[in-house]
Amino acid sequence: MNSLISRYRAWLLVPCLALTSLSLAGCWDRTEVNDLALVTAAGIDRAGENAVELTVQVFVPRAGGGSQLGQPGSAAGDERSVVRSAKGKTIAEAMAKLQERFPRRIFWGHAEVFIIGEKVARTGIREYVDFFLRFSQPREHADIFVCKGEAKKVLELIPPLERHQAEVLRELSESKVSLHVTLKDLAEMLVGDAGDAALPYLTTLPPPVGKGQQHTIAYIAGTAVFRDDRMIGTLNQQKTRGLMWLRDEIKFSVVTLSPEEADGFISFYLLRSRTKWLPRIEGDRWSMTVEITTEDDVVENTTSLDLLDPEVTRALEAELEREIVRRIELTLKQVQQEMKVDIVGFAEIFHRRYPREWRKVQDRWDEKFPEVEVRVEVDAKIFPHAPGSERAARLLPVALSAHARPDRSRRGDVPLDGRRSRPLSHLV
Amino acid sequence: MPYNGKITPVQMAFLLHPTIVATALLLVPAMTERHAGRDMWLSPLWALMAGFATLLTAWALHKRFPDDTPIEYSERLVGKTAGKIIGVLFIFFYWHGSGSLLREYGEFVSGTFLMETPTEVIMGGMLIIAAYAVRGGIEVLGRCAQIMVPVVVVLFMTLILLVSRNLDPYKLLPMLEFGILPSLKGSIVPQSWFSEIIAAAFLLPSLTDRSKGLRWGVITLLFVAVILSLTNLTVLMLFGELAGRLVYPVMSAARYIEIADFLEHLEAIVMAIWVFGTFIKIVVFYFLLVQCTARVIGLSDWRPIVLPVGLLILISGIWTAPNLQQLVHALGTSIVFELLLIQLGIPLLLLAVALIRGKKGAPATAK
Repeated sequence: MNSLISRYRAWLLVPCLALTSLSLAGCWDRTEVNDLALVTAAGIDRAGENAVELTVQVFVPRAGGGSQLGQPGSAAGDERSVVRSAKGKTIAEAMAKLQERFPRRIFWGHAEVFIIGEKVARTGIREYVDFFLRFSQPREHADIFVCKGEAKKVLELIPPLERHQAEVLRELSESKVSLHVTLKDLAEMLVGDAGDAALPYLTTLPPPVGKGQQHTIAYIAGTAVFRDDRMIGTLNQQKTRGLMWLRDEIKFSVVTLSPEEADGFISFYLLRSRTKWLPRIEGDRWSMTVEITTEDDVVENTTSLDLLDPEVTRALEAELEREIVRRIELTLKQVQQEMKVDIVGFAEIFHRRYPREWRKVQDRWDEKFPEVEVRVEVDAKIFPHAPGSERAARLLPVALSAHARPDRSRRGDVPLDGRRSRPLSHLV
Repeated sequence: MPYNGKITPVQMAFLLHPTIVATALLLVPAMTERHAGRDMWLSPLWALMAGFATLLTAWALHKRFPDDTPIEYSERLVGKTAGKIIGVLFIFFYWHGSGSLLREYGEFVSGTFLMETPTEVIMGGMLIIAAYAVRGGIEVLGRCAQIMVPVVVVLFMTLILLVSRNLDPYKLLPMLEFGILPSLKGSIVPQSWFSEIIAAAFLLPSLTDRSKGLRWGVITLLFVAVILSLTNLTVLMLFGELAGRLVYPVMSAARYIEIADFLEHLEAIVMAIWVFGTFIKIVVFYFLLVQCTARVIGLSDWRPIVLPVGLLILISGIWTAPNLQQLVHALGTSIVFELLLIQLGIPLLLLAVALIRGKKGAPATAK
């Protein structure tokens, strides 16, 4: 018997191996892509007292470029995503109800945009942040926005350029022209020393004339300011820039000056900038010096000034510095004196440098923060250059792409007749 | 020749490294953060002391009894009955240990990837492969580790490199805000993990070159400390104080990676790291459990008990805790004492007896 087994040992192994391959497939958690509804963005709104409305935007997969199903004359025939919503006492409940309205299983792994309606934001967002961190499918790097009006309305927009609204917002926040806050950042702000938070604030761009209300996008038009987890107000885009200077997040900026010495304007394009914070405590006086060093390029000069003259450059630098300081102080005035919320992150900076003093005021930071004396010092360097120089050549594509955006979207409005161009290409 | 086979000192290092690190990356960072806060990266360095204490004890005992494992020399040191009791303690310890680490693995996989697969199935699958490897003997284990561990380390370093652009060193400040105490408190849990280096005591007798055993043991410990500290630094610089609120911070860090819109959703790498690492760890614990059992009972061949012991490990894995929360709680409280008591306390006791009984006095009492 034993010898028999050892003789056919190899053959006995074959069915065993075949059986193990069954377990490799992971049958229990087998999920086919075509059984999933991929959520690309989600929105949270208030629905009456003590209820939330959860809206999801689901990607509609489609065999690329094939012939469209015949839906004559329907503008919505081009829909690439489905937007549906459900109400519930909690998000989890709304989620369960939402599932009832989808033939496929809702999958959150690709949800990279969360939009919070302003009404919800004003009543507090902590529980939602907590939920999305706990729930294992959404990513910690999902972008978070607050929108004017209802989040549902924003998700229902049909952007002319991108595939869906989630992509629009993702691209916008990647471009760093405004705040970029991920789920992780928001959670960190809420558990941080100050506990205040700032989120990008969305507004809907008015649709072009002759197009439906939905044929537009929402864009970041400022900052929603939170005390603890409640939204208390907004900053406009200009003040948001000031905030970004303060937070060392500025990546893209154009500053235009009208120099005292001559008529016309000079525009500066930000090359790089670095912000340093120097906290100081003397007795009961807390002060903060914000040191900004920035390098800027002149991109447009409609004055008669000769930028190659070092005297002129120095004078312009001084003016640029004053202008940046003015912008930042405008922001500080609103944030520190009027709203009294520490969204700049001064609490952490003081905590790092003066841990002992910090502990004494940490419970009444709300009162202390407006008393902090802030000095802004800017050291600007500008690079004037003759047209055609290397730097100008490097900048050109940037400037072009910045202008190209509105252009392209306008072109998208003119219907391109695909059918007529096809026979033409045949001839060629 | 205790296990019918020999491994090189380097292979031993490759076996011991994941024995400590594999599960330490899973739950320990968050557990450390809760005590140490911003100083959590210091904790593994303090905990390294416990590792050295254990390793040096094991080495001192090994010098006295070069051919024996702790099971044999404890009998020779404290007498047959007491020695058997120590042996049984080791058996129960490795039984519970392998069970709860199998459970940690199962909870991790079912909690983050295979939500609907029963944990028992995940644990069982792992156990079957582990049993196969254990039956192969120590040489097979050594080679497995030699092939897998470098891959794991490279993957792990890649992960840290990819996440590095999102790191903010300022989150480490202020350092030592409340003095040295929080980081010491935070080091208690990692200490218990470091004491797992006692597995070296069982492996040292079967080294091809015994003189290099200590050197590679020390290298292993240093490398482990560096990896754990680096992990804590990364997690801290990425999440700040949020780190303690996440169950698997390293996993969350991997999910955070997003480069150029296409290098994202990299948690599969974390998965690979853990499956490889935990496999080695389970295999080492499993092997030692089988060896301890066979030696205490006095079997002439240990291979027949591999599968039955495996079944017992599975049962222990199911029994060890009713859910993940309680498992984490146990790992942070009672299991710490269990690990330190068995892995550091007993060897120290044995060494003390050996010192009192005379320099190499044991062989005389052996008969």
